[in-house]
Amino acid sequence: MLSMNRRTLLGGLAAGTTSLWPQSRVFAQATPSRITVTSYGGIFEGVVRDTFVADFTKRTGVAADIQLGNPSQWMSQVEANPDKPPIDVVISSIDLVIEVGKKNLLEKPTVEKVPNLADVPQYFVDMCQGWGVCFDYGSGGIAYHKGRVKNPPKSLREFVDRTAKGEWRASLPTVAFQPSLQLLIWSLNDALGGTLDNITPVIDAVKQMKPNTVFWSSVTDFLNHLQSGEADIGLYYDGRVWAAYDSGMTFLDFINPSEGAVMTPIAAVKPTNAPPIAWEYINSMLAPGPQTEFGNRMNFGMTNKNVQYSEKVKGRITPWEKTRLPPVDRMAPHVSLWVERWNKEIGA
Amino acid sequence: MAFSPWLSAPAALFLIAFFVLPLTDNALRSVASQAAAGANYLKLLTDPYYLWVIGVTIALSAAVTLASLVLGYPIAYFLVRKAGRWSSLIIFLTVAPLLTSIIMRTFGWRVLFARRGLLNVLLLDAGWIERPLALLNSPVSVVVGLVHVLVPFMVLSIASVLQGINPRLGESARILGAGRMRTFWLVTFPLSLDGIATGSILVFMLANGSFVTLLLLGGGSLQTLPLLIYQQFTTTRDFAFGAAMSNVLLVLALLCLLLQLVLIRRRGVKT
Amino acid sequence: MIRRLLPRKVRAESCAPDAALLLYVVLFFAFMLLPIIIVVVVAFSATEYITFPIQGVSLRWFRRIYEYRPFFNSLRVTLEIAFLSALFGALLGVPAALALTRWKHPIASLAMTFLLSPLSMPFIVLGFALLFFLSAVGFGASFLSLLIAHTVVSLPYVVRTVAGVYRGLSPNLEESALVLGASKWQAFRYVTLPMIRPGIFAGCLFAILLSVDNLPISFFFGSPATSTLPVVMLSYLENSFDPSIAAVSTVQLVFALTFLLVIERFYGLKGMAPAS
Repeated sequence: MLSMNRRTLLGGLAAGTTSLWPQSRVFAQATPSRITVTSYGGIFEGVVRDTFVADFTKRTGVAADIQLGNPSQWMSQVEANPDKPPIDVVISSIDLVIEVGKKNLLEKPTVEKVPNLADVPQYFVDMCQGWGVCFDYGSGGIAYHKGRVKNPPKSLREFVDRTAKGEWRASLPTVAFQPSLQLLIWSLNDALGGTLDNITPVIDAVKQMKPNTVFWSSVTDFLNHLQSGEADIGLYYDGRVWAAYDSGMTFLDFINPSEGAVMTPIAAVKPTNAPPIAWEYINSMLAPGPQTEFGNRMNFGMTNKNVQYSEKVKGRITPWEKTRLPPVDRMAPHVSLWVERWNKEIGA
Repeated sequence: MAFSPWLSAPAALFLIAFFVLPLTDNALRSVASQAAAGANYLKLLTDPYYLWVIGVTIALSAAVTLASLVLGYPIAYFLVRKAGRWSSLIIFLTVAPLLTSIIMRTFGWRVLFARRGLLNVLLLDAGWIERPLALLNSPVSVVVGLVHVLVPFMVLSIASVLQGINPRLGESARILGAGRMRTFWLVTFPLSLDGIATGSILVFMLANGSFVTLLLLGGGSLQTLPLLIYQQFTTTRDFAFGAAMSNVLLVLALLCLLLQLVLIRRRGVKT
Repeated sequence: MIRRLLPRKVRAESCAPDAALLLYVVLFFAFMLLPIIIVVVVAFSATEYITFPIQGVSLRWFRRIYEYRPFFNSLRVTLEIAFLSALFGALLGVPAALALTRWKHPIASLAMTFLLSPLSMPFIVLGFALLFFLSAVGFGASFLSLLIAHTVVSLPYVVRTVAGVYRGLSPNLEESALVLGASKWQAFRYVTLPMIRPGIFAGCLFAILLSVDNLPISFFFGSPATSTLPVVMLSYLENSFDPSIAAVSTVQLVFALTFLLVIERFYGLKGMAPAS
């Protein structure tokens, strides 16, 4: 009785129910008339629709429905339905790509399947360990209020020291915001001489900064803080700074610290059992035309080497050579300990 | 009239199928992926830090429940006994906080509580305080934020029971010479205990499982189990530890709930 | 009526507490409404970013809702799920509450605890567990899955509010009906049901309100066809920091108030009250 494991349990239930319920998706590998792709919401979605989806549909005649949300939700759905993934192309941060890829739930792109891959530096495939390819990237550095911070710091080390002294109030991401592992813990620790095994440098630094610090828990929180005077400076992403700048928050500016901003790429991946037409969508995501428009409208760095940014955007893009790539794969085993230590000693 | 206990079978079966089985499945999955699952529970129940977190979780839920009861009871009383033709308006106003999305509601509180927010500006101008109060990112704002959304559950639960109490009982007591407060404490209040129980259970359980308000208004000043569970899902992706924490949370909540229900029963079934 | 029978002293004494109560009620609702008023004001902001106090008034963010299709499409899904989950919650929950309330067996408390237990499970855990479970049994990320997940949450509200009301009622009324020759069904239909109406009403209202704002469960079952409004709003905020979110909240508020008004018109919120 008790030796019945969850596979047999679920298998039994599945056998009982699948016969009663029609399958919502067809297994056949024949080209479907529409596919499902993913996007963040807001402006991002509008631009995805106008660039990648438009190019894909024009070339193939296949429609693409956009599913909004975030990568951990999409990847969970793929993991829960490995045989018939509900999504055909997922965009995701690279730590999740590697984690899910290792379970063989993703298919590796090649130049034969995705011709435009030839124009993307190998760097953007290697960072996914081959399980996908990055189509754009942002950089995590220092953002500040020009009116209130006249003499901004040049490096992360300077930022930490002057925050600890109380020269301004800083806004840092809370640890419940997933990217803060890279943007805050890894980045400051690395800049202050720590290692993956030893995060004492960043813990001590944040302890010193804490009296002059507020924490943000969603990306719009940070803008709220700077706008309302709750904070004057903080760790944030370049693309988001420029988007806010263009919407009227012209008091913002961004600095790539001398240690190097944190490379924050977005990868495109195809789940193993998604139909081959999904490669065509990824090919559109890597094509120079759609990428140029995407980069110019979103202020993100793009990965196709033939992209020509507009004059306005060119100066805003942080070159990827001047960023630091967090070792997401090697970080993974340490993360639980990091967060536990953070909770016990910092608690934010 | 006694309804057959079997009438509860469909609901029980539904929850067994779509609540118990999924959670068991989830727990089994986490055990399979980590041989040392026992270590997780051991850590949760022995490490002083996690015991502290468990204590904070219960204390917060209890504080929110008590505050909702104290603030909500007079409103329920007013709604049923005094509001008359305004009662619909009172109901509208009571549930209004639940009608806006949590994201925007929190934004409203931020505007009010911020260092240079409305409340601080008003208090400074009035000369009541000398420097801005640190309201945001403190336990105060968490309790206020939670009470704001949970107090409607208390008000409506109490009101729906008060509704069924014949006001003449109170009036008889007064004709017989009992004072107004005495009448309330001896007649009305005891009769409304069922509503208080319902409201308290709902508020306690909801507060016990909430993390969004804590995340957005707490700024790390309070750490509770649901918040740490959320972290396991978003940041560390350590689902085994997350599952262990949710099981501990569930057992805690059920123990509190069972205790409350037994206390209600102890009073005996009224006739 | 009876008031007039009260001694004069008692009548005079009752005025001061009434005034105090009224003052308290006004303060209480100021507290309840303040954050919401801020949101509604921000919805009429003219700037492209969120700021308070607002600089300039405009309706542009309401137009944006209309133009940004996901807002509109998800609103329909959200409402369908909310009403259907409340309905199924009531169909399962009302009989269970009636059966367990007067059952004197010790198991009754345990069974009641069990039926209420979903309330204390953080929604994110429930959503995650249900996603894997429902996918394994073949439902996937569909409307049906979303509905099942929301019903798991709505059921306990109905159970608890109905039980709370039913416990307070005297069994004598139903007994009298039976003695007077009513069938069990008639006694239920004409005596019990009208009396427990406030409980059903409150429970369903809770269920609907929570379903509409439920993010942690809905987000696991999102698909292009089944994304709910909170999921769309959150993902909108990821990249756009403009007042359209406040505008959506305002529209949501207007919808909800209209819904309550309609109930009031045809059913009477005082349907909270037992039919006399």
